Amino acid sequence: MGDKLKQIINQQGAQQNTETLDQSDDIVQLVGFIIGEEEYAVPILAIQEIIKPFTWTRVPQVPPYVLGVFNLRGSVIPLIDLRVKFGLQLKNHNEETRFFVLKQDDEVAGFVIDKLTAAIRIKKENIGPAPDTLSGNDTMIDGVGKQEDRIITILKVDKLLERDF
Amino acid sequence: MDEFQEILQDFLVESFELVEKLDEDLVELENTPEDLELLNGIFRVAHTVKGASSFLNFDILTHLTHHMEDVLNKARHGELLITPDIMDVVLESIDLMKTLLNTIRDTSSDAGIDVAACVAKLDKISGGTGDVKTPEVKAPETPGVPPVEVETATENAEEEPDYDNMDPDELEAEIEKLLKQRQEEDRLKREAKIAAGEAVLVAPDAETDDENETENSNTPVVTPASSPTPVTSNVTTPVPVQQAVAPKVEKVQESKGDAKAAAPTKRTPAAVEQTIRVDVKRLDHLMNLIGELVLAKNRLIKINDDVEERYEGEEFLEELNQVVSIVSLVTTDLQIAVMKTRMLPIGKVFNKFPRMIRDLTRELNKKIELEISGEDTELDKSIVEEIGDPLVHIIRNSCDHGIETPDLRIASGKPETGTITLKAYNEGNQIVIQIDDDGKGLDADMLKDKAMEKGLITEKEADSMSEKEAFLLIMKPGFSTAASVTNVSGRGVGMDVVKTNIDKVNGIIDVESKKGEGTSMKLKIPLTLAIIQALLVGVQEEYYAIPLASVLETVRISRDEIYTVEGRSVMRLRDDVLSLVHIGDIFEVERILDASEHAYVVVLGLGTSKLGLIVDTLVGQEEIVIKSLGDYLKGIEGIAGATIRGDGGVTLIVDVVALMEMAKNVKAMAMIDGSAGADATQEKTQASDYTIMIVDDSKTDRMIMRKALEPLGVSLIEAIDGQEALSILKQGDHSFDCMLIDIEMPRMDGYTLATEIKKYNKYKNLPLIAVTSRTGKSDRMRGVESGMVEYITKPYSTDYLSSVVQRNVNFKSEFL
Repeated sequence: MGDKLKQIINQQGAQQNTETLDQSDDIVQLVGFIIGEEEYAVPILAIQEIIKPFTWTRVPQVPPYVLGVFNLRGSVIPLIDLRVKFGLQLKNHNEETRFFVLKQDDEVAGFVIDKLTAAIRIKKENIGPAPDTLSGNDTMIDGVGKQEDRIITILKVDKLLERDF
Repeated sequence: MDEFQEILQDFLVESFELVEKLDEDLVELENTPEDLELLNGIFRVAHTVKGASSFLNFDILTHLTHHMEDVLNKARHGELLITPDIMDVVLESIDLMKTLLNTIRDTSSDAGIDVAACVAKLDKISGGTGDVKTPEVKAPETPGVPPVEVETATENAEEEPDYDNMDPDELEAEIEKLLKQRQEEDRLKREAKIAAGEAVLVAPDAETDDENETENSNTPVVTPASSPTPVTSNVTTPVPVQQAVAPKVEKVQESKGDAKAAAPTKRTPAAVEQTIRVDVKRLDHLMNLIGELVLAKNRLIKINDDVEERYEGEEFLEELNQVVSIVSLVTTDLQIAVMKTRMLPIGKVFNKFPRMIRDLTRELNKKIELEISGEDTELDKSIVEEIGDPLVHIIRNSCDHGIETPDLRIASGKPETGTITLKAYNEGNQIVIQIDDDGKGLDADMLKDKAMEKGLITEKEADSMSEKEAFLLIMKPGFSTAASVTNVSGRGVGMDVVKTNIDKVNGIIDVESKKGEGTSMKLKIPLTLAIIQALLVGVQEEYYAIPLASVLETVRISRDEIYTVEGRSVMRLRDDVLSLVHIGDIFEVERILDASEHAYVVVLGLGTSKLGLIVDTLVGQEEIVIKSLGDYLKGIEGIAGATIRGDGGVTLIVDVVALMEMAKNVKAMAMIDGSAGADATQEKTQASDYTIMIVDDSKTDRMIMRKALEPLGVSLIEAIDGQEALSILKQGDHSFDCMLIDIEMPRMDGYTLATEIKKYNKYKNLPLIAVTSRTGKSDRMRGVESGMVEYITKPYSTDYLSSVVQRNVNFKSEFL
């Protein structure tokens, strides 16, 4: 009995060891999501939570991509539709639609995305800079992550949370 | 270092508090110079600050307070009568002390501020008293200081600044002379005192004094500077020397008396208030939590109502009711209690005005008395901070423009001294701060002329302006009635600051004035900012909260009561004409619902201006917690914030001030319903382009209908009740050509569904067909009333159903 227990503990310990290895500095953890046809990602630490869509209140005199505000456990938080912001048509929310609540410093906002994909671990060396035509201070793109068969656009959280109207 | 910071913090908090009180006390002292209690109190403040600052090594502050203490100590012992001139210097030194404290707060050091000039003046005063003493010494049998002699003393004090103009040599000679004089006097005095058994004089800290003096005299005094020395050094140097000698001599024999005099001053008053200092942040946090609780309470009440409706007569209901009412009661009490902890007496703001009036009267050569009442009235801390500036401006304005010069007042038969009354009191949910003066009052015509001259209003506007509106012109930016720009006011800023700040706290300004009799201004301010009473209104499918403080009344009108004048909508409200604006036009609300025959007008009032806001429905009055929209959405015109309602939804709060401004730019009301839209029925090219919704709670019935219509090849969508049907419709994924509706359904029945659908402009022409087993005449009538076009009774033949549908959707026969 004691042996078995030891074995299990050892196993678990080994697992944890590999995990800690994974968490070394040159790994970036992202959460991927889809808007339109493209896959995007933001750093996992910038995400406060991901929730299913619910009702919001329209706010007047804002650009179309600001849908309004919603109540997140007592806080009033702006809701931004990334489809519209990225120049796509507004789409009705469906089963796969999610609200991404991003937070940086004191800024919090909810973003509507079409579909959640997965949590992604990606090596830093596999992340390339944004294409030259899109780089600079104005771009929302932080970099482009390459994985086996796909390319993921990594977005700048501070740019997403920045008011640009 | 940390420990030092902690001590420093305590020191600053204490000092600021003391100094604040000092101002008030000093002005009172000027009126009652004999009040020993008051004098002792003031002296203690100077002494406390001095003691603490010397401990913390703030040499400049110590230096200054030390000399203040000297003067006050003399006054305290009756050797110096506080005259207005002396008071000027003392007050100046207190201002300097404030500056020093501010510098210390900001930089943790008191360097960089020149106190020399002020210290010199203080010294002259305490030095000058040496002269005052002379007569007393010569005639010790007349105790007490005869006022006449004091007058000469102060004259002496005033003459002394002549030193500034002397050249160094003359100065030296003068000093010599004075020193001799002083020594002689001191000697005489001492003898006199010893004879009289008196042993009180001199600042208790003669030792530190000496140290300071030696330091000072080491430097500039030796080199009287042949080059043009700065005036300050000339002034500072000679004076300390005078004193340096005097106290030293006295000290020897009077140290005993010193100790006695100094000791009692260190004792703090026995009655200590039971208080705890709490960081404001903590209170703010507490307030936020209470806000959450209030929201939860509102929600609980709503749920309770729902439950009550559904389980009427159940036993547990009563228990639930009790709990809900207890929670709601306690929450309300808690809210009030926490609000109270944030309350400050308005006296905190009022305190600085006696001093201000005093300075102003001297500056303007007017005689003005300030009467304060209601200083115990309490206000939320954040509001207290906001109203300080407006009050300063109003009072300055009253002094400068309101109260006339004494000779003018006498000429117009008024008492020579003008009176300004500052009153604060509670009135319902508001605090009213009233500022009255008995000056010349406002002249409406003059104000209008001036405003036209400055291009603030047009002639037309001026003509239609009521007296009250004209008074409010003084709040316009860039308006000043002072003929000449004085130091006090007339620079065109000021009164508009009042308006901005009062608006900020949702307050209202009311001006009343009678020419020749005076002006009365009322600032009406809500008790707190965080939680307000609001009127909830509905427009189309949206809701907005309007702060109840700005709502004067609500009226129900029919559409034909609205007139259009010069492209603006107006209505007649009793004897007035009220301009109207639709809330939907301001907030760009999409008109999806049909406009009903009646509308409600919320009459908003802000000062004297009024506006009628047309809304579709009035929901009711509710207590709401104001939440900010955050950085991302701040500054949206017309929106002051948001609140969370009992159902968890967010409702926006209307910014009435901004809304009134926006209303000016909204021209005629877009009363056109835009019914042309939505009918963009695309050309049907195949049978499946037709979409029909089947609404029935019975699966069998839906199946029967489906079977009847499927042969046509049309698209069919099913819904199991009215609610689902409505939400499918709202989603707008399909454009329906026809709906088959059962009447009896759970959640929402067919009649209600039809009524709801017909509210939307878009679905005005959507054929609704009732399919039901209800055959009564009244049922059919109800069906027609709710907007159904056909009424099919169960059972029916599939062919009949199919033909009715085909007829209603204009089904093209070629698809068959």
